[in-house]
Amino acid sequence: MSIDTEPQLAAMLEARKARRSLPPYIPQRDADVAKLLQGWFDKHEPSSTVADVARMGGGASKEQFVFTLRARGSERKYVLRMDALEGITETSREREYEILKAFQGVVPVPNPVWLDANADHFPTPAVIMEFVDGVTKPQTDGVTVTGLGTVLGDPLRGVIAPQFYDNLAKIHTFDWANADLPSFTAPTGDPKQPTRWLIAFWKELLEQDAVTREPVLRLATQWLEDNVPDCEHPCVVHGDYRTGNYLFDEESGQITAVLDWEMSYLGDFHADLGWLLQPVFGSHLDGVFRASDIAPPDEVIAGYEAASGNTVDRAKLHYFTVFNAWKSYILVSALGMQAARTAHNHQDVLLTFLAATGPMFVDDLARLLMMEESR
Amino acid sequence: MNPSVDDRLNSVLRALETVVLPALPENASLAQEQVMLAMGQLQIIQAQRDAAAGYEQEELDDIATMARAVLEVSDVPEGCSDARRGLADSLEKEDGYPRERSERIREALDALLIAAHEDRSYHRALTDVILPLGQKRAVKDRGWFGMMGFDAEYAPG
Repeated sequence: MSIDTEPQLAAMLEARKARRSLPPYIPQRDADVAKLLQGWFDKHEPSSTVADVARMGGGASKEQFVFTLRARGSERKYVLRMDALEGITETSREREYEILKAFQGVVPVPNPVWLDANADHFPTPAVIMEFVDGVTKPQTDGVTVTGLGTVLGDPLRGVIAPQFYDNLAKIHTFDWANADLPSFTAPTGDPKQPTRWLIAFWKELLEQDAVTREPVLRLATQWLEDNVPDCEHPCVVHGDYRTGNYLFDEESGQITAVLDWEMSYLGDFHADLGWLLQPVFGSHLDGVFRASDIAPPDEVIAGYEAASGNTVDRAKLHYFTVFNAWKSYILVSALGMQAARTAHNHQDVLLTFLAATGPMFVDDLARLLMMEESR
Repeated sequence: MNPSVDDRLNSVLRALETVVLPALPENASLAQEQVMLAMGQLQIIQAQRDAAAGYEQEELDDIATMARAVLEVSDVPEGCSDARRGLADSLEKEDGYPRERSERIREALDALLIAAHEDRSYHRALTDVILPLGQKRAVKDRGWFGMMGFDAEYAPG
């Protein structure tokens, strides 16, 4: 039976089942990637030369390589993003390409230039985008998984905060109806459809990938299904908007690119707020919790409301706080663990490390579901 | 003298740290990250080793406690009786390692929650039993994984 979600996502959920039985994934090597890239550009940019191919660090979902393309007397750096067989997310390079194209000139984003949506050339679906300068965290922040516990600190925080609100506001007020997004389907059937589709998608991922049956997760799934809020005006939801997923110039504090759009969809803007307010992405310094190390939650909400003109509905925010703890568990403890168990990723050891955050989300979910707001 | 588990783990860690990591090219960022993560995992496994069997037994005890509490909830709707019986059966089976036994109970609990979803009052009663116990267990798990360093409330130091 087809899942009641976006048709493109329903097809993706079906297709991934066939990958489960494939043999272990062997991480790509720089030299092999260089050959693949040169082969691609022989077809798409004849007389160009690929050089300086190097794997990029960070991230827990895609294989990423930076390289230089020399063509017609000039050279430019690009990034290749390619799927592993499975990973901590289940997303489409085609949708990522389309959404990045749509947001050119709206908020700073990398420019996607080439797409191999069906792995006709690369071993798995791939997108190639222009390289953007910047860092995801201050160089003084030490070794952390990007975005988990990142501390921007002063005065950087004060420079980044208004841009952080402004970019999110521009994403949520973007005129998607007139954008070229053929791989997205607008959930305009009824006011509950946007979030009903969302829950159905993630529930199916949980069903396919759960490595254990957690009673609190089952209760959370049922609560989310029973309490779907209306969404009269679907907007573009980034899906992973937080500190760690934008690049900035460390000297000026200017955001140079909003990254990691792969989980974007059309839905309720409260989902992005609930995500970026999560404790796991914030900092705890001197007794103060700052969401995404930007500001305390109420200040973030006020900053967002001022920038977007949207009014945050606290009941919906609660719903999406539950949703995001649930989604986070599914990412780290279901998709990530399943990918590691099947040896279908290039970073299994990172995935099993990240899975240790699962109990934080179970704890959050139990606490949230016991609150009066959930009754 | 036979090498102890600690001796062997320490020698692996030392090889990774002093031989493998420095030998990696400067631009081999993924390999460097993977070696550091592998070292981190090994250090944590080493620190947890003596307590691991007790942890898995405690996991089993806690999920069994939850299951017994669920079985005590009265006014079981007719449509849930098979799933409830399945849960009772899962508690009685004593074969297998603690982790396998925990999983059997979890599967049975899950089946009961699915069956109970349509009956509002019974489901509410199950929810009231499960959430506090589930949270209590999650807090223990957060402590167990505190050494991973992600969890500000449980990270060492």
